[in-house]
Amino acid sequence: MDNVKDLLVILIGSSLVSNVVLSQFLGLCPFLGVSRKVKTAAGMGGAVIFVITLASFVAGVINQFVLIKFQVQYLDTIVFILVIAALVQFVEMFLRKAMPSLYEALGVYLPLITTNCAVLGVAINNEQAEYGILTGMVNGFATAVGFTVSIVILAGIREKIEYNDVPKSFQGMPIVLLTAGLMAIAFVGFSGLL
Amino acid sequence: MSITGIFTAALVVAVVGIFVGLFLGVAGIKFKVQVDEKEEAVLAALPGNNCGGCGYAGCSGLAAAIAKGEAAVNACPVGGEPVGRQIAGIMGVEAASAERQVAYVACQGDCEKANKDYEYCGAEDCRMAGFVPGGGEKSCNSGCLGYGTCVKACPFDAIHIVNGVAVVDREACKACGKCIAVCPKHLISLIPYKAKLAVACSSVDKGPVTMKACATGCIGCGICVKNCPGKAVTVTDFHATIDQEKCTACGVCAEKCPKKSIVHL
Amino acid sequence: MNKAGERLYNGLVKENPTFVLMLGMCPTLAVTTSAVNGLGMGLTTMAVLALSNLFISLLRKVIPGRVRIPAFIVVIASFVTVVQLLLEAYLPALNKSLGVYIPLIVVNCIILGRAESYAYSNPPIPSLFDGIGMGLGFSFALTCIGAFRELLGAGKIFGVALMPEGFEPIRIFGQAPGAFFVLAMLVALQNYIKNRRKKEGKPYEKIGSGCSEDCMNCSDQGCKRRFYEAGTEKRATAKSTAKRADSAAKKITEQPAQSRQDGTTKRRTEQPVQRQPEPTDGFEYIDLVEEEK
Repeated sequence: MDNVKDLLVILIGSSLVSNVVLSQFLGLCPFLGVSRKVKTAAGMGGAVIFVITLASFVAGVINQFVLIKFQVQYLDTIVFILVIAALVQFVEMFLRKAMPSLYEALGVYLPLITTNCAVLGVAINNEQAEYGILTGMVNGFATAVGFTVSIVILAGIREKIEYNDVPKSFQGMPIVLLTAGLMAIAFVGFSGLL
Repeated sequence: MSITGIFTAALVVAVVGIFVGLFLGVAGIKFKVQVDEKEEAVLAALPGNNCGGCGYAGCSGLAAAIAKGEAAVNACPVGGEPVGRQIAGIMGVEAASAERQVAYVACQGDCEKANKDYEYCGAEDCRMAGFVPGGGEKSCNSGCLGYGTCVKACPFDAIHIVNGVAVVDREACKACGKCIAVCPKHLISLIPYKAKLAVACSSVDKGPVTMKACATGCIGCGICVKNCPGKAVTVTDFHATIDQEKCTACGVCAEKCPKKSIVHL
Repeated sequence: MNKAGERLYNGLVKENPTFVLMLGMCPTLAVTTSAVNGLGMGLTTMAVLALSNLFISLLRKVIPGRVRIPAFIVVIASFVTVVQLLLEAYLPALNKSLGVYIPLIVVNCIILGRAESYAYSNPPIPSLFDGIGMGLGFSFALTCIGAFRELLGAGKIFGVALMPEGFEPIRIFGQAPGAFFVLAMLVALQNYIKNRRKKEGKPYEKIGSGCSEDCMNCSDQGCKRRFYEAGTEKRATAKSTAKRADSAAKKITEQPAQSRQDGTTKRRTEQPVQRQPEPTDGFEYIDLVEEEK
């Protein structure tokens, strides 16, 4: 029971309270770049959930059976990044061959996730908080869900303000950043949840 | 300075690296997707900016279609003639020569010439502005609204709003067709690059109505039709149209037009 | 030495990674809660950038083209680990406040981008100074933004109280939303300068050529496409790719038709057409031969 309660706390905490983009600033690149339409944002969110959950599982396994076993935790950065890059490459290859329709939908976003701060950030957070494999996976899943929620909301807002009369200097990135800032203020309200 | 420490670290990284390398190598072979060599060559020849002007999903979509034989070798409007010839060389067929075309906005009712029914303050988008009563703030219901939806759609920065109407930059235009698709008034069409004359009005209102709406609107009087030596001008729907295939660019119609609706390009 | 100085100036002013190129936004927003954090992060990144540029430039003849990205990542990750361990030992307070963003220097676009676009194709000493220059530019930018946020958010710079007594600190600037607001203003200022330069006809392509453009460029061909066209210092645009296709096509049509490397030839050369072997079942077959046009 205690374990489930912990998992629930992590689920809500990682997705809403310390939202990966609006609070921890990880994964800004795709957040700002792929949020023009709700459809592409949802696609990106799906890809991110898939990759981060898988990556945090693999990172957890490597952490447990390689890094802790040989007492070389300081090698976490190198090992994680190699494994994550390989994993994403493999997922892309696999999707291209085995599920072409899914590849058409998600495949374009996958290379963007490789050098994304979010994946590596989650893996290192898991390691530093010394989560087990399952807890790490739940943390990763929750983080990605938080990412999806925020990117879809931002895409919805961007679609609405597309035809607004924005001052010339603020067109493009600045107005999006201001919107994200307002969203961040809203998400600060979640800190009372826990 | 423990040697075992350095040794362990190096070993761990080396093993992980080798494992990853092998894994990807095997996966690369096992999950290899057959790629057509011609398709790769065609893709390399295409400009690569994924504008979608060919009608396919990006340059890779067009490359796949050309390699399969579904699309013509000169289907890329951005690359135009040179790229068409290059792809024809790759595919081993002869390229049909396509004439270069550019987009043209058939309206010159700018802020000075055209009258407005009211002042519009709302979403700055031609499609949205077209929903208000009267089809927009201009008196002429068929005129260019000048809010720049076409400007936003153009990937080549080839169309701009000048004094309230859209004007195409003929040198920069690649005839991809995006502006044509988004204009709610359907004012934009493709004409040959070589064309020298065009009618700058699409008004479907009768003469007296058009005269009140715009200083240079075509009233459908037919003087141009009578004076054209090559029978290239016709009046349909109360405005003139030039058939560019027959037009010899003599310029008589532009001279005789009482409203100056026919312009030199 | 002149080249080195030019590289330093480039990284600090002309192509400042934050103010001009707009790269590495994640750490910029995350660690600029105070000026000293910004400075610390900037100098750490500079150390990693300079060392990795130097090493990659030294190894550039050895690293094969196809595996260069993983190779870069391994080199950069190693240096980040070294720097991280040094910080843990000698500057534990800075290590604590920077937290998880130190290992995340590995995926900082600046480092990978500079490695791919400069260090991989240039000698070691200019690469080293390019790294130092970019790092100094980054540090300067982070310190500025950090100082601004600290001043408004806590009334201090580098821990020194500068605002008058009655000043109520605007706490939001020290937190996440404030970072977004400050960055929004920065980019708006950049856009203003960019539009002005466009109007005056001055070169403006480098401004904001990193992060403020469409993110799909990143996934297309990795970091390089965002910066430079293959082999040149010019940024790839629709115009330039069309021009490249033009000149390539011109080369082909201006050459006399000749056999290409794979043994096939163009149709218009004087080559005897391969004839099928005669069938022997008694029927007269008509050869369908391509007409020479």
